[in-house]
Amino acid sequence: MTRLDRLTPALLTAPSALVYAGALLVPLAGVLALSLHGFDFEKGVLPGWGLANYQDLFTDPLFGEALARTFRIAGLTTLICLLVGVPEAWIIHRMDPRWRGPMLLVVVGPLLVSVVVRNFGWMVLLGTNGLVNQALTALHVPGAPFRLMFTEGAVVVGLVHVMVPLVVLSVWASLGRLDPVLERAATSLGAGRFTVFTRVVLPNVMPGVMAGALMVFCLSASAFATPAMLGGKRLKVVSSMTYNEFLNTLNWPLGAALATVLMAAILLATLLWTRLVEKRALRRLGEVAQGGPA
Amino acid sequence: MTAPAFLTLDSLGKDYGTVTAVRDVSLSVAPGEFLGLLGPSGCGKTTTLQMIAGFEAPSRGRILMEGRDLTGTPPAQRGIGLVFQSYALFPHMTAAENVAFGLEMRRVPRPERGRRVAEALAQVRLGHLAERFPRNMSGGQQQRVALARALVVEPRLLLLDEPLSNLDAKLREEMQVELRELQRRIGVTTVLVTHDQAEAMALCDRVAIMQGGRVVQIDAPWQAYDIPADAFVADFLGRSNRLPARAASGHAEAAGHRFCLPPELADRQGDILLTIRPERLRIRCERAPESPPGLEGRVQARLFLGGFWLYTVETALGAFAVMAQNTGATPLDEGAAVTLDWDAHSLRRLEPA
Repeated sequence: MTRLDRLTPALLTAPSALVYAGALLVPLAGVLALSLHGFDFEKGVLPGWGLANYQDLFTDPLFGEALARTFRIAGLTTLICLLVGVPEAWIIHRMDPRWRGPMLLVVVGPLLVSVVVRNFGWMVLLGTNGLVNQALTALHVPGAPFRLMFTEGAVVVGLVHVMVPLVVLSVWASLGRLDPVLERAATSLGAGRFTVFTRVVLPNVMPGVMAGALMVFCLSASAFATPAMLGGKRLKVVSSMTYNEFLNTLNWPLGAALATVLMAAILLATLLWTRLVEKRALRRLGEVAQGGPA
Repeated sequence: MTAPAFLTLDSLGKDYGTVTAVRDVSLSVAPGEFLGLLGPSGCGKTTTLQMIAGFEAPSRGRILMEGRDLTGTPPAQRGIGLVFQSYALFPHMTAAENVAFGLEMRRVPRPERGRRVAEALAQVRLGHLAERFPRNMSGGQQQRVALARALVVEPRLLLLDEPLSNLDAKLREEMQVELRELQRRIGVTTVLVTHDQAEAMALCDRVAIMQGGRVVQIDAPWQAYDIPADAFVADFLGRSNRLPARAASGHAEAAGHRFCLPPELADRQGDILLTIRPERLRIRCERAPESPPGLEGRVQARLFLGGFWLYTVETALGAFAVMAQNTGATPLDEGAAVTLDWDAHSLRRLEPA
């Protein structure tokens, strides 16, 4: 009986653990193994093992550039998403309940549109003869039309568009747990609206902000379609390089090495983020013991 | 009232759509006075407090503080200290940081701020817990931090919204003593909102008893208790027994019993609703020899309250609650035949509510 009791948790979690192992760990191990093989254009994947692929990558300036670009885009996207999404969540939180539902739907809207459609929309807007440039030319803005497409800026705009809802939803959830009387307490002590937000509301919804930021960062760093469509062929990011190796050059081992490096880099960034920022913010709120990093 | 009013509510009213939360509240609070807004839930007392604090705009009427109309002043500039039922301490700040918040908002320089925070915490006997976060404090300690936070900015008016209702009975009593003593010492004009009549009676100089968005009676607690304005107040403040009777020439009669009316009611004629407090009734065993006549009854239930026994006595005039001091004598048994009597001057006449 006691032995069965001890086994119960393991038995109950076994199915999901198996799915996880089968769908995540096995393929990951496969990718890792693949990245350690050599490749020849005549013979395909070579049987020998080695770190040659990684050596190639880290000595290739193009890869370094793409890696830096990937993180630059992801970082900038995260920053803008926070600057837009946190106040947005706050505004919606304070809205009349009648308007809150429709507004949330508007916020979530970008997530409901296919990535291809969404990016074609941005291409129409940002092209040399696109709406934005037409407007700027009509307004006689000096230098118009600008080159907007196939720039890192275009990629960031496209990513922010779809990532903002993630921040809004995650901060919104935190705001729901905030005691509304806190704002009145701060107001009665003489705090203006802005101070109430920065000194009382924001510190208390930090877990939601952090979780949102982490999601946006990871998804932006590994995004493929948006950088490929709005950044074009010349503006390589790690995920588009990976795609290229797998499907165009057919150098699967190199592609696997790229994927591994990207994953490791994101994991490292995540860990650093959690260590440096999140723990400190959460310790103040006393949630480390209960929730751990989000 | 002799002193000029510090706070005046002038025909204050608040509607939410078609619902009227506060109908018509007019009252004044003297400087340094401790006033209680007392009433059952939904009587409008909390809405009234919210309007004084500035979180709700009145639909009608005015709020005057030291003669100045407060209606257009935003809550942050009213100089009012607030203590909430849930305490509303900032969870991400220590006790000292919570208390310092109001001083920071007023741009009090750092050295002075530190000194005043320390003083305020010492005042509520929490000096040793300054660096603790609210989640690591007991309810009573959080309550005292909330009080220190409200008082440290030296508010002109202190508003307390059910401040003690989240504490357990023993602690509540201790905090009542402490709160009363602190308010006396500081001398800040205070308005307390509560549904707990015992709390209001214990703490306040005067209580305003509210019902249905109106103030029914404002008096010192003992006066309101002794001479309630109507049946609602009589029932809401403590226990009372009702005695419907017919009055005629200085006497009243009910169910075949005749008894004297107090002199002020001597000229009453016809139907009259009388009331008497449980502690004003005398209860004795029927068999006592040579006893004066009284109202005969039977003990239906008894409750031991420590200092008192609370008997429910069934009589021809209905059930009576009787409070008898615990003198150490053997209590009356349930089912015992007893006689009740009282002094005529203990009877009060009630306006039907």
